[in-house]
Amino acid sequence: MTNRPLIFDSWRDLPLEEVLRICRDTIEEGDFSPVLKWRETGGKVLGHFQVYFPQELAHAAGMLPVMVRGAPVDLLHADSRFGSYLCSILKSSLDLALSGKIELDMFVSHPICDAARNLAAVWSRNFDYPCQILYLPQNANSQGTIPYLRDEYDRLLRKLEEISGKKVTEEDLRNSIALYNRSRALVRELYDLKRSEPWKVAAEDAYSLVAIGGLIPVEEHIALMEWVVPEIHKIERNKEDRIRVVFEGAFCEQPPLDMIRTIGRSCYVVDDDFLIGLRWLTGDVATEDDPLYALAEAYIERSSYSPVQHDNRKTKEAMLLKRAEAAEAEAVVLASAKMCEPGLEEQVAYVLALDENRIPYFLSEFEENMSSFGGLELQVETFAENILFA
Amino acid sequence: MGYAAGVDVGSTQTKAVIIDEEGQIVARGLVDTGANVVQAAENAFSISMEEAGIDEGEVDYVIGTGYGRYRVTFGNAQVTEISCHGRGAVHLFPQTRTVVDMGGQDTKAIRVSESGEIVDFCMNDKCAAGTGRFLGAASAALEIPLNDLGDTALNSSRPVKISTTCTVFAESEVLAWLGKGKKVEDILWGVHKSIAMRSSGLMRRVGIEGAITFTGGVSKNSAMVAALEERLEAKLNVSEECHYIGALGAALFALDHIKASRSPVTKEVSA
Repeated sequence: MTNRPLIFDSWRDLPLEEVLRICRDTIEEGDFSPVLKWRETGGKVLGHFQVYFPQELAHAAGMLPVMVRGAPVDLLHADSRFGSYLCSILKSSLDLALSGKIELDMFVSHPICDAARNLAAVWSRNFDYPCQILYLPQNANSQGTIPYLRDEYDRLLRKLEEISGKKVTEEDLRNSIALYNRSRALVRELYDLKRSEPWKVAAEDAYSLVAIGGLIPVEEHIALMEWVVPEIHKIERNKEDRIRVVFEGAFCEQPPLDMIRTIGRSCYVVDDDFLIGLRWLTGDVATEDDPLYALAEAYIERSSYSPVQHDNRKTKEAMLLKRAEAAEAEAVVLASAKMCEPGLEEQVAYVLALDENRIPYFLSEFEENMSSFGGLELQVETFAENILFA
Repeated sequence: MGYAAGVDVGSTQTKAVIIDEEGQIVARGLVDTGANVVQAAENAFSISMEEAGIDEGEVDYVIGTGYGRYRVTFGNAQVTEISCHGRGAVHLFPQTRTVVDMGGQDTKAIRVSESGEIVDFCMNDKCAAGTGRFLGAASAALEIPLNDLGDTALNSSRPVKISTTCTVFAESEVLAWLGKGKKVEDILWGVHKSIAMRSSGLMRRVGIEGAITFTGGVSKNSAMVAALEERLEAKLNVSEECHYIGALGAALFALDHIKASRSPVTKEVSA
């Protein structure tokens, strides 16, 4: 991968504000030009639907792993393939592919909900390339879970080898894991900064920096983050009268950047579950022994939480309380994508836990194509000022 | 000590209130908001100062509220209308624990504490049904001035049922009833009942507790008061000042600021 030309280098030699603007624009405008550029240079692309996919597998096979997570686009084709009662991310993801905005060589989805479990089948009716389902374990607490997942990763790796024409060695995998460990460490550093000095980085900028990681090669994301994060640290900006909140509910469909911006005007978003699939592993993956086993082990033992993974050791509401406590959040913004059953179901447990612990919360919903935020701004501002004035 | 003021820039009208250090209203100003929001805020404030017989220098702190709160360019700070309506309602009617604020574009249900702090709130976020806009549509369809809607509706003896929940379709439904020969007052009362139904649903989402105060421009409509009272099976607090409650709440927050900035500073000394 190292010999390929850079596909996202317009930020180089620019001041921080410009770099952040480029990242924001790329994400906000649904600009997939880096992915198209990759293909133009002869590269192969794996599209993986939300929430989690071990990108190391595609990287080791010499492919570009791209997180398929919808986009705020006008739907040209997808409405004729899906019912109106389904969430937007399913439709816009397929639309991106049907309209040629993203071109893939393989697609992987996961049965994370009733709607998404049919996505690979719908996709395969429209494209000739392989569409696979990664069956992540539903039971995280069995002795067979990690070996099962290791074999599932192995099955997909064989498929990736077929597409890329490259035989993946254990050494390839270890190298990829090491790179992703570095990338994840940089993202964790960004989140540490959000928690400790949230006034230095706007929520939408932190979001964009992570989101870019789902579009470009990990080597390029590391270079970007290694430059940007220290630059953000250097910013001198005064803390303002805003409340500290955790944003919860963006594990799959993503809120529009303008919604994050709107919340950010009254609140410091000190932690969140934005793009949690890209931040799923919370610690380094071992680079010794069997790398596939190490990836599977990390998925089960050192990972975040979302409404679509079930692990008795980490109930979602307990994890949310921990997240809020660790970030010293004063309140929680509980949002859910429209028509998202797992997200809405989990809200019940979240609300009960927050009520019990007397943590104020603001309930909201969103859709990736939302464009009017006047009502939301008023409500978030009211919520914030009542905590500030209390 | 000087005066405190609140300027509430609403979607239809802009209101200004000046209060003294006891929190008593000394003057009000009211203008149509129109397209120039900054000018509307200035005009409403000027009218209130004229009525009070004071000049700008005598007003120590001004808070802007309403959808145009950030356009009150001469203001010192902004507070949202939800907080201001809660605060103003409890000031006027101390037993208030639930507020329904019905304006031109939206309706808000607010639950408040004894001190006027917001406990919970929600607002219509999907469409204008259940807001003053719904009445505007009926007014246009029936060619009856907005201010006469309430009195006309109260003459109804056999109200029609308005089933649509969409303001745009409501106009068609009103015209359909007219085509069937229904009386204007019966159609209008049906419209009011429909709005009351939508608004009471919003109020139940935050929980109806204690005395209910009806604020916002639509609270001046007697039929709307009656329809809500019938739906909620409760008497509503309504006052001549209800239209100004947002501005009053903003003025009270301004007064808090003035008092806080004048209170003596205490310093903790560790042993």
